[in-house]
Amino acid sequence: MEGNAVDYTAIANGITHGAAYLGAAVGLGIAGCGVGLGEGFVAGKAMESLGKIPEQSGLMTRSMLVGMAVVETCAIYSLVIALLLLFAI
Amino acid sequence: MIEFVNVSVFLGAALSCGVGGSAAGLAEGTIGMNAMQALGRQPKANAQLLRTLLIGVAVTETGGIFALVIGLLLLFGGLNSPDSAYDLARTVSFLAAGLAIGLGSMGSSFGSGYTAAESCAGVGRTPSHSNAVTSNMIVGQALTQTSTIFSLIISLLLLYLVPDMAENQSWGYQIAMSGAYLGAAMSIALGTIGVATGVGFVTGKAMRMIARFRENASTFLRQMFVGVAVVETCAIYSLVVAFLLLFK
Repeated sequence: MEGNAVDYTAIANGITHGAAYLGAAVGLGIAGCGVGLGEGFVAGKAMESLGKIPEQSGLMTRSMLVGMAVVETCAIYSLVIALLLLFAI
Repeated sequence: MIEFVNVSVFLGAALSCGVGGSAAGLAEGTIGMNAMQALGRQPKANAQLLRTLLIGVAVTETGGIFALVIGLLLLFGGLNSPDSAYDLARTVSFLAAGLAIGLGSMGSSFGSGYTAAESCAGVGRTPSHSNAVTSNMIVGQALTQTSTIFSLIISLLLLYLVPDMAENQSWGYQIAMSGAYLGAAMSIALGTIGVATGVGFVTGKAMRMIARFRENASTFLRQMFVGVAVVETCAIYSLVVAFLLLFK
């Protein structure tokens, strides 16, 4: 590795791929951080409301799942971008 | 000359124990704080409160202990062979292993700390419900710890599965693989911080409600499992991407 002439094209290629891998992971990680926290707030407050009206548990579960599904879309965007960075570059 | 592989190993061990330990300490302090507040309100419930406090603190400590184990393995595990001095990807993988468990155990510590803190507050409010609250608290804390287990798996794979590079590998390939290994760690570490804190928020609220209305405990538990399952999907995405990067 040391004696050979330095192949700058290969190094540039490696930096590009490394940045793509790191970017995919950090993007998904930060998005997952916020999404997980947000979904936790939704489900936690649903739990509090369920304590107030336990007979309406079906309504509560349904509304909670709708709210969480909307939050989840952001994580799916990041997952799509991460997979694109992993396989489309 | 500087042995960069040692720099990576020492930095990885220090960050793993430092970051993981700080989160665990903060979370355990919150549990103790709530327990003391509850004791001031209900001094007669000291036996029940002590039991809930000790179990809660012990489970919250899990993340810190895993971080310590990875830190000790990095320092004394005999991992760095003499060949790895010129091996960039292997060098980076040690730092990545430390970061994965250090940052990855933060969320679990916060989450299970919140669960135990709410349980202590609930036991202080209604000491007669302490059995139901404490047994369900262990279930809730176990759910928050799944993220630590994911991080531990990735960390151990980074320590033991990453091969020494062949002598003829180009620097370009090594730089790309370094990015992949650091990325695998960052994906699972950052991804689980929010997820495990969110899971802990759900299970904590469930404990509060079980302490207040024990007769509806089964409804709360069902809702808790549904909520936790949806939150956990984000951690699964991170785990999948981490595995894809590791086996690139």
